[in-house]
Amino acid sequence: MTSPISLPKRVAMIAGAFVACGFAAQALAFDEEAAKALARQNKCLQCHSVEKDKDGPSYKKVAAKFRGKKDAEEKLIHHITSGEKAKFEDGHEEEHKIVKTSPPNDAAQIRNLVQWVLAQ
Amino acid sequence: MDDDKPGVFKRLWTFFARPSAKYSVLAIASVFFVVGILFWGGFHTGLEMTNTLDFCTTCHEMRDTVYQEYKETIHYSNRTGVRAICSDCHVPREWGPKMIRKARASLEVWGKITGDIDTKEKFEAKRMTLATHEWDRMKASNSQECRNCHAFDAMSSELQKQTPYKKHMKAKEEGKTCIDCHKGIAHHLPKEYKDPDE
Repeated sequence: MTSPISLPKRVAMIAGAFVACGFAAQALAFDEEAAKALARQNKCLQCHSVEKDKDGPSYKKVAAKFRGKKDAEEKLIHHITSGEKAKFEDGHEEEHKIVKTSPPNDAAQIRNLVQWVLAQ
Repeated sequence: MDDDKPGVFKRLWTFFARPSAKYSVLAIASVFFVVGILFWGGFHTGLEMTNTLDFCTTCHEMRDTVYQEYKETIHYSNRTGVRAICSDCHVPREWGPKMIRKARASLEVWGKITGDIDTKEKFEAKRMTLATHEWDRMKASNSQECRNCHAFDAMSSELQKQTPYKKHMKAKEEGKTCIDCHKGIAHHLPKEYKDPDE
């Protein structure tokens, strides 16, 4: 029995699936220990926790807020690297701490941290 | 007979123990006063030379590791140009504690001679131990070297952001000390370190 989908189409679909899997794997391929180390070094855990709200929201809450949004990573990266204002529960606003890396301004380390937060 | 002649130490002792018939007490006291000042000045000049950034980074063990990390922090470079060097944080200013710290530093010289941390790998393997020693020392002194420059009372509620100000005032009430929350402020945290809230 011959398939209703032509050979070139099948090849294209399989290739597309591989590419999609590649992107998905890349999105999940964060280094958890490196992310936690950067969070510790920057004292993120003074105001955040994975599970519970502190002065800042829990990482689970942050991840839920951004789930399914395609610009989530970029928004969070901007949030923790630009000194953008963060709104607190009591209504006041304060510049979010700018996360620092060693060596300085290492975008890959920042992205890794954000990916870990979004995976909670 | 030569055999009856006292030894060198005995003769030296006799010389020092004999009351002076030639010099006045004032002259002797003056000489001791001046020599004392020269000795004390020389001692402290030498000691202060071991407190400089150049001295601390003479050894590659410090220069290639913690010094490079420190150079990326606010204690090295900041808006106002005030720099805290190694000794500002790691050597007490008070005379007694400073002497104790310097005496203990002789162990670091021993570490240098024996090559205890002479490679990056060896240093990383001992980082937690070394950091813990320093955190314990700071905790025991109520973070005195931090407080030589920083004080809860000098923190302005208008100039400091609300959240850190609130945390600082709470820490003051609870009797916490700087190093309780600010570990790793000038160096990388050891990989074994876990945050108390984790």
